[in-house]
Amino acid sequence: MTSTSTDPRQLSARGPDLAVEAVGLCKAYGPVIAVDDMSVQVATGEVYGVLGPNGAGKTTFLRMLFGLVRPDAGTIRVFGRTWEDDDIGVLDGVAGFIESPRFYPYLTGRQHLDGLALLDGGHPPELVDEVLEVVEMGDRAHQRVGTYSYGMRQRLGVAASLLREPRLLVLDEPANGLDPGGIRDMRALVKRLAARGLTVLLSSHDMDEVEEICDNVTIMSRGTVDFHGTIARLRTMAPDPGYALATADDTRAQEIARVFPGLRVGPGHGTGLTVVGPRPEVTAYVARLVQAQVELLSFTPTRTPLEELFFMLTDVDADRAASA
Amino acid sequence: MTTTVTTCPLARPTLRAVLRWETFKLRSQRRTAAVLLGAALLPIPVAVIIHGQARPPKDTLFGRFATDNGFALALLILGFASQWVLPLLTAVVAGDIFASEDQHGTWKTVLTRSASRGQLFWAKTLTAGGFATLVLGLLAVSAIGSSLLVVGHDPVTGLSGQIIASPSALRLVAESWASMLPATWAFTALAILLSVWSRNPAVGIAAPVVLGMVMQLVGALGGIEAIRPLLITTSYESWHGLLTQPSFIGPLVQGAAVSAVWTAISLGTAFVLLRRRDITGG
Ligand SMILES: Nc1ncnc2c1ncn2[C@@H]1O[C@H](COP(=O)(O)OP(=O)(O)OP(=O)(O)O)[C@@H](O)[C@H]1O
Ligand SMILES: [Mg+2]
Repeated sequence: MTSTSTDPRQLSARGPDLAVEAVGLCKAYGPVIAVDDMSVQVATGEVYGVLGPNGAGKTTFLRMLFGLVRPDAGTIRVFGRTWEDDDIGVLDGVAGFIESPRFYPYLTGRQHLDGLALLDGGHPPELVDEVLEVVEMGDRAHQRVGTYSYGMRQRLGVAASLLREPRLLVLDEPANGLDPGGIRDMRALVKRLAARGLTVLLSSHDMDEVEEICDNVTIMSRGTVDFHGTIARLRTMAPDPGYALATADDTRAQEIARVFPGLRVGPGHGTGLTVVGPRPEVTAYVARLVQAQVELLSFTPTRTPLEELFFMLTDVDADRAASA
Repeated sequence: MTTTVTTCPLARPTLRAVLRWETFKLRSQRRTAAVLLGAALLPIPVAVIIHGQARPPKDTLFGRFATDNGFALALLILGFASQWVLPLLTAVVAGDIFASEDQHGTWKTVLTRSASRGQLFWAKTLTAGGFATLVLGLLAVSAIGSSLLVVGHDPVTGLSGQIIASPSALRLVAESWASMLPATWAFTALAILLSVWSRNPAVGIAAPVVLGMVMQLVGALGGIEAIRPLLITTSYESWHGLLTQPSFIGPLVQGAAVSAVWTAISLGTAFVLLRRRDITGG
């Protein structure tokens, strides 16, 4: 493409209004292929999830978006701008952080925001108070970051991002390392921001998180894209639910399972068995076990169907088995 | 709770704004104040101790007169400072200013704003260069001031045995100190290069000092007349020509030119390295 309009409104006049458009991105670190022919389209105003297990290439993709690493091949457009043509101009209207946000231990939270504002080309001074209020850390802003907990640094990272008044917020596993309360707050904040029209691109390894807050998702593993589409479409693809079963006689339980062709019963993770199949058949199977006087020790659901789908798509179990 | 989401485009920061950020960070570090304080205070005890010596350090330039002539003492301190003190004091900042971003994992913090890599490079370089200039200035003022106050300001004997009256002696001593500037900037640029290349503050700070010592060693060897003028440390000795009769400034000009080449090559290489590198840490 040769047109490099700096005004995204021109772009929207030509077609879909894209916040991010990546085409054929590739990146290798030496022999390790981190991202292999990845294409992603993020429309403005949506919450987009990039989901994948450890090492899938999520962070590498976001680093390419921010211009921190240079792709070996492919192009990435952010609001129609490219690094080749617009250099740092690509990041106009973009904010966020990669992995956990990092700061200078000897500066306070507020000094960071005042200083980073200089690197943004200036902000109205009241904005600093405003973003500190959004992340609820106005009372600790005068303390040095060296004294902050992980969660506080994460919130300062969000504050530093909001300071740029972004149109696109990019968050790399924002819930990582947060306690359940912190995760809830983070998700609530993302939803609140999205409700006000902000485009959010986030990476995650948690299907529940993506299901809860995203409209569209790209699922990737080992650098390649396994799925992209809406959460609704993903749901229709979801497999049967799975359960962890422990009995006093697992061999017997597996024998009995042969009567149920719709069920997959095999050795579970660690001890016991895993049972996967449609719910009525699972119920009938359990009833048969009781009838046959196989003592049931425990019976618990393992993964949600979407989680199961995620593991199927990304095939992490196979990877784990191979590396074990 | 308020949530701010507007869509006003950001302005690009000026180099001046990025420079303000870098100098602010520098001022916020205790080490900066410690180095500046050291540069301002260290010459005082040195002057007092040398003045109190019964036998002057005869084997060093101006050492013979240093115990009872302030100008000679200021030049003795100059000779000493140029050996490793100046490379060390400048490298404390120049060798750290890039690598500390790797150490703290903060490249991604500053590079995801609106300042370009080029702007950050020049802001850091100017900050390190400014700091080196300040350190040299403080050392010079303190060394000259304390020498003259402690020992006195009688006319001094020059390198050709000529007597130099006090007012011109003061000017020549100040010029000698000022002639350290090009080489000090060259060491600053070298420290920047090593800091960018190694991504390690310890290497950035220590390596220029070691390299400075190696250059001095090489410069002291015989049979390398072709290489000697190309060493940064040779420029640190070019002030000798100011204190002869007649004075000659050829070595000063040559030293400044050589330092400029070292500075340009070091900064150019560092700039290319920083522009090209993938930021994967942090
Ligand atoms: N600096 C680097 N040098 C070498 N290999 C790297 C580097 N950074 C990442 N990789 C490799 O690239 C691949 C993708 O890594 P990346 O960090 O993008 O994955 P991710 O999806 O973000 O994983 P996680 O969920 O663990 O954060 C991995 O195999 C990783 O080992
Ligand atoms: Mg990651």
